[in-house]
Amino acid sequence: MGNDIVGIVQSLHPLEVRVLRAFRPGSILTVDLLQKNLSFNTGQANQVFSWLLAKGLLDETSRKTVRFYELTDLGKEWVQKGTPEERLLNHLKSSGPATLPELSRALSIENKDLGSAYGALSKEGVLGMNDQKQVVLKDLGKASRLNQVRKLLDRAVQKGFLAEQDLSAEELTLVQGMSKKRGATDSPFRTVERDEVEYRLRAEASEVQKELERRGLTGEEVGALTPEMLTKKTWKQVVFRKYNIKTPPTRVLMGRTNAYCDFLRSVKDKLCSLGFEEFDGPLVETEFWNSDALFMPQFHSARDIHDVYYVKDPTHAKEIEQPYLDQVAAAHEHGWKTGSRGWNYSFDRDFTRRLILRSQGTVLSAKQLPKAKIPGKYFGIVRCFRYDQVDATHLSDFYQTEGIVIGESVNLKTHLGFLRMFAEEIAGATEVKYVPGYFPFTEPSIEVHIKHPVLGWFELGGSGIFRPEVTEPLGVHVPVLAWGIGIDRMALMHLGLNDLRELFSYNIEHVRLRKGK
Amino acid sequence: MPKIEVKKERFYRLIGKPYDRDTLEAKLTFAKGEVDDVDEQTGVLKLELNDTNRPDLWSTAGLARFLRILETGRIPEYTFFSRPGDSLDRHGSRGIRTVVVDPALKDIRPYIAAFAVQGPPVDANTLEDLIQSQEKLCGNYGRKRKTIAMGIYRSTLIQYPVHYDAVDPEQTKFQPLGFDRVMNLLEINREHPKGQEYGHIVAGFSKFPFLQDAKGECLSFPPIINSATIGAVEPGDTELFIELTGTDMDSLFLATNIVACDFADLGYTILPVEVQYPYDTPYGRKVVTPFYFQEPQRVSIAAIEKLLGEAFTSEQVLAALKRMGNRAEIRSAGKGNEASRSAEVVLYPPEYRNDFLHGVDIIEDVMIGVGMDHFKPVTPTDFTVGRLTDSETFARKVVVLMVGLGFQEMIFNYLGSRKDFIEKMRISGEDLIQIANPMSENYEFVRNSILPSLLQAESVSASAPYPHHIFEVGKVAKKDPSDVYGSKTYNYLGFLSAQSDAGFNLISAQLGALLYYLNVEYTLEEVEDPRFIPGRVAAVLVRGKPVGVIGEVAPEVLENWGIEMPCTAGELCLDWLY
Repeated sequence: MGNDIVGIVQSLHPLEVRVLRAFRPGSILTVDLLQKNLSFNTGQANQVFSWLLAKGLLDETSRKTVRFYELTDLGKEWVQKGTPEERLLNHLKSSGPATLPELSRALSIENKDLGSAYGALSKEGVLGMNDQKQVVLKDLGKASRLNQVRKLLDRAVQKGFLAEQDLSAEELTLVQGMSKKRGATDSPFRTVERDEVEYRLRAEASEVQKELERRGLTGEEVGALTPEMLTKKTWKQVVFRKYNIKTPPTRVLMGRTNAYCDFLRSVKDKLCSLGFEEFDGPLVETEFWNSDALFMPQFHSARDIHDVYYVKDPTHAKEIEQPYLDQVAAAHEHGWKTGSRGWNYSFDRDFTRRLILRSQGTVLSAKQLPKAKIPGKYFGIVRCFRYDQVDATHLSDFYQTEGIVIGESVNLKTHLGFLRMFAEEIAGATEVKYVPGYFPFTEPSIEVHIKHPVLGWFELGGSGIFRPEVTEPLGVHVPVLAWGIGIDRMALMHLGLNDLRELFSYNIEHVRLRKGK
Repeated sequence: MPKIEVKKERFYRLIGKPYDRDTLEAKLTFAKGEVDDVDEQTGVLKLELNDTNRPDLWSTAGLARFLRILETGRIPEYTFFSRPGDSLDRHGSRGIRTVVVDPALKDIRPYIAAFAVQGPPVDANTLEDLIQSQEKLCGNYGRKRKTIAMGIYRSTLIQYPVHYDAVDPEQTKFQPLGFDRVMNLLEINREHPKGQEYGHIVAGFSKFPFLQDAKGECLSFPPIINSATIGAVEPGDTELFIELTGTDMDSLFLATNIVACDFADLGYTILPVEVQYPYDTPYGRKVVTPFYFQEPQRVSIAAIEKLLGEAFTSEQVLAALKRMGNRAEIRSAGKGNEASRSAEVVLYPPEYRNDFLHGVDIIEDVMIGVGMDHFKPVTPTDFTVGRLTDSETFARKVVVLMVGLGFQEMIFNYLGSRKDFIEKMRISGEDLIQIANPMSENYEFVRNSILPSLLQAESVSASAPYPHHIFEVGKVAKKDPSDVYGSKTYNYLGFLSAQSDAGFNLISAQLGALLYYLNVEYTLEEVEDPRFIPGRVAAVLVRGKPVGVIGEVAPEVLENWGIEMPCTAGELCLDWLY
C-alpha cells in the first residue's frame, strides 16, 4: 500500500494535487465547483476527474442531463439590431402608420417574417390595422411578452447561455418556442444538452492527501523555468515541480556520420598512422593498368577471375602513357630487360586501350609506381567493380583496400613484419598465420590468415612482392611489397551485419539506428 | 580458382599415405590449395587450387604426385619424353603412330600433340578423372577450348597415320557422340550442345579442323566433339589414343605432358606419337610428343637471399627445390667466397610445369620448400610519412559540417539502372557511362550524380520519422571527350532534405552555412533543370564556375520515385571548392 501511495503521489499532475489539497474525502465535486473554487476551466476540470477516477480516488455519484439554450447567429443579430417585432414597434413609434409592404421595404424584413411579427403583436392587442390597411399602434401596455424576450436575450448574452434550471416556467415556454434543436439558423436559440456529473472524493484519498502534505506539495509548483521568471526574479517565490525522470523522452533526429564510413575512415587513419600515404584514381580504367601493367597475360585464364565490365562508349582510351606502354608490352612479349622470358605472345596494343570499370585496387598501386618515393608506403580504399551476381556475399561495386611498400629493405621477412602489423593493428588479431598464395603479379605471394577474437580464423588478405616484370617496366628497380586486405568481413562484424548489401543500405531508418562496436 | 574433386581412397593411395583433415589442409598450403569440403559419405574431397599457372595440380594424379614428392623427396623419372630433334626411332617405333597435319590448318588451329597409352582396363574412376582433367585443362587453362582442346579415343580402332585435316564443314559428315545420326559439321555446330557451346571457335573459318584415320574413319571434330565410334571410350578399354589441338604450342605441350604424366602415374605405358607438319613450328616440322620443351631457369643465391631476407646454403636451396619436385643444380664461376656469392641455381622444370618465367619463380619455390614457419617476421624500419589525399581531407571537413547541419551520412553503390539514373530523373543522360556487358539492367550505368541515390533512399524510407536530412560524399563519373579516357571521375557532395515544408529557403540556408565554414565564396544563378521546380533551382557558382546545383525537387521527379514528401536536394563538386 505504502508503495502504491508513493507511486500515486509521484504520478499526480499538479491539477490533481490542487484538487486533493482543496477538498476533504467525501466532498461532492462538480465541474462548476472546480471552476468556482480553483479557477479551472471546463477542460481542466473534466481532465482531472478522469485522472482521479482512473487512480481510484473518485466515485461518480450522479449523472443527469441538463439542457441549455445558446444564442444562434440569428439570436446574436437580434440582440444587436433588435427582434423583428421590436424593430416594427420602434418604426411605427417614430414614423407613424404604414402598410405592411411599406414596412417590409423600410425595415428590410421579408414579408413572411414581418407578417408573423405583426400577427403575434396584433393577437396580443399591441397593434392593429386601420382602414387604409396601415398598421397602427394600439396598446403598448400589452407588449409584456416582448419585454420578456428582450430580457432573456440580454441574459443569454451575459452568461453565454440560458440554463433550463434558471428559467421560470413561463420563461421556459417562451424560450422553447424560440428554440430549435441542432443549429437551426432561423431561430434565435439552439438547444444544447450536457451531462452534469457529480463525483465524491473517496476515503482512500486521505492517505494520498497525507503524503502530499508530508511532502509539502500544493500543485502550485512550477513546471518550466521561464526567461520571464529570471528577468522578474519571480523564480525565488516558486517551487519547481518534480518531474518523473523515468518517463521515456522524445526522440532526437540528429545529424550523424555513417557507421560504415566511420569504419572505413578508421582504417584509413590507422594506415596513415603506420606511415602510409593515400592514393586515389578514376573509376574508369584501361585494360593496360587494370591487368597488363600487372603482368597478367592478355590470353591467360587468370583474367577470368577478373571478369570486368566494359565501357560502352568510348570503348578505348586515346593513348597509354609512354614509355610504360612499350616497356610493359615488351615485358609481356619476351621479358624486356627484366630477366624474365615473358609470356611469349604478341601483345595486343588495341586491346590494352580497352576501357573498363576498375576491377581491382591494385591498379592504383601500379599507377603509383612511376611516381613513388623510395622508400615509400601507399594505400587506397577504392571502389572496384565486378561482374558478379549481387547477393549477400557479392556486390557489383564495393571497396578494396590495397597498398604498396617500396624500398631496398623490402624482403620476405619485412613483408611478414608488415602483415603482422596489419593483422594486429587493423584487425586486432591474436594469432597470425602466413601461407603461400597466388596472385598473377606477385612472386612470392603470401596470404595472411588471422585469428580474430570474435570471428575466429579467416583470411585477412593477400600480398606479395611485385614481379620484376611489373616494377621494372614502370621504372622501379627496388622490391615492392603489394598487399590487399579484405576488410568487409570485419566491417560486417563491426556493424553487427551479415549481408554485404547492408553496408550500402538505402534505408534511412536502418542507417540512423546503426552503430559500430 | 580451379576447384577439383578427388576420391579420397584413390588420392591417398597415390600419395602413399592417408591424411586427416588438418594434415591435408596443412599439406595443401604447399600447393596453394585449400579444402572446400569433405563428403564423408561418398569419400569425395572438394579442393580449391589457387595457382592458375599450375594446371598440373588440377587432377587427382597430379596433386597426389606433388604431395608424394613433398613427403618422399623422390622425383619420378618419366622416360617417354622426347626432346628437340628426337624422332620415333629413339623409341624404336618409327612409323607406327604418326599424325599428319593439313597445310590449311596453319591459320585455323595449327598445332596438335598426341600419344597413346596401354595399361590396366580403364575403370569408372579413371574416366571421371579424365573428364575432370579435360574440363580443367581445356575449360580453364585452355580458355574454354579456345587454346586447348582434348580428345580421347579407342586406340585399337585407329589405323595410323591419323590425319589432322581442314575440311569443308558442309560436305564432311560423321555421327557425333550423343547423337544417333550422321551430321555435317555445320549441323553439329547448330544442333549439338557442344557445337552450340564451342562452335564459335571455328565458325569464322571456311574450313573446320577434322581428325580422321588412314581409312577415313572420323576421330573427332576438334575442338567440338568426338565421333560416336572411335571416340566413345568405355570402362574396360586398355588402349587409348589421346590428342590435344590448339593455337599455342607451349601451352598445348604443357597440357599434353600433364595428361601423359597422370596416365604414367596411374600405371599406363605412354606410347609417343610423331606429328608431321607441312609448315614451320617453333619446334620444327617433326615433333614427337609428349615433348619436353621447357628451358632451364636461373637465379643467383644472392638474389634468393635478398628477396627472402635470409642466408641459405646451396644444399638448403637444392633440398627445398627438390621437395617442390624440381631438379636443380648449383653453378658457380669463381672460387671461395666469391664463388658462393656468384653461385647460381639452374633449375630444370618438371615436364608438367612451365611457370618459371623469371628467377623470382624459383625463389618462391625455395620459400615454400623451406616452409613458411622458417621465416620470422621482421618489423620494418624505413621511415615514411602517412598522409590522406587532399580530397579525403577536404571531404572530412564537409562531413563534419553536414553532420552539424543535422544530416545523416549515407553511402551508396555507384552502379544503377537506366530507369533510376535517367528516366526517373527526367534527364537525357548523354554524359552517363554505360556498361557494354552488364550482368543485369539494374547495374548498367555508372552514376553521374548523387541525387538519384539520395532519392532512392528517400523512396524506401517513408516510414522513417521525419524530417529526413541525408547526404553522401562520394564519387560520380561523367563522359568527357576531352579526357584521354573519355570520362572523368569527381568527388561530389549530395544532400537532400525531406519534410512537409522543405523549400528553397531551407536548402539555400544549408548551402550558405556549409560554404561559409568552408571559406568558399559563391553566388547563385537561375538555371533550368528538369529535376527541380522551375524558378526554385539555382546553379552554384564559385569563381564564376558552376560547381553544383540546389533546388526544390520537381513533383514529377518525386512522383517517379514514389515519394510523397516535399524534398529539397543539391550537389556540389568538391574538387572545385578548394
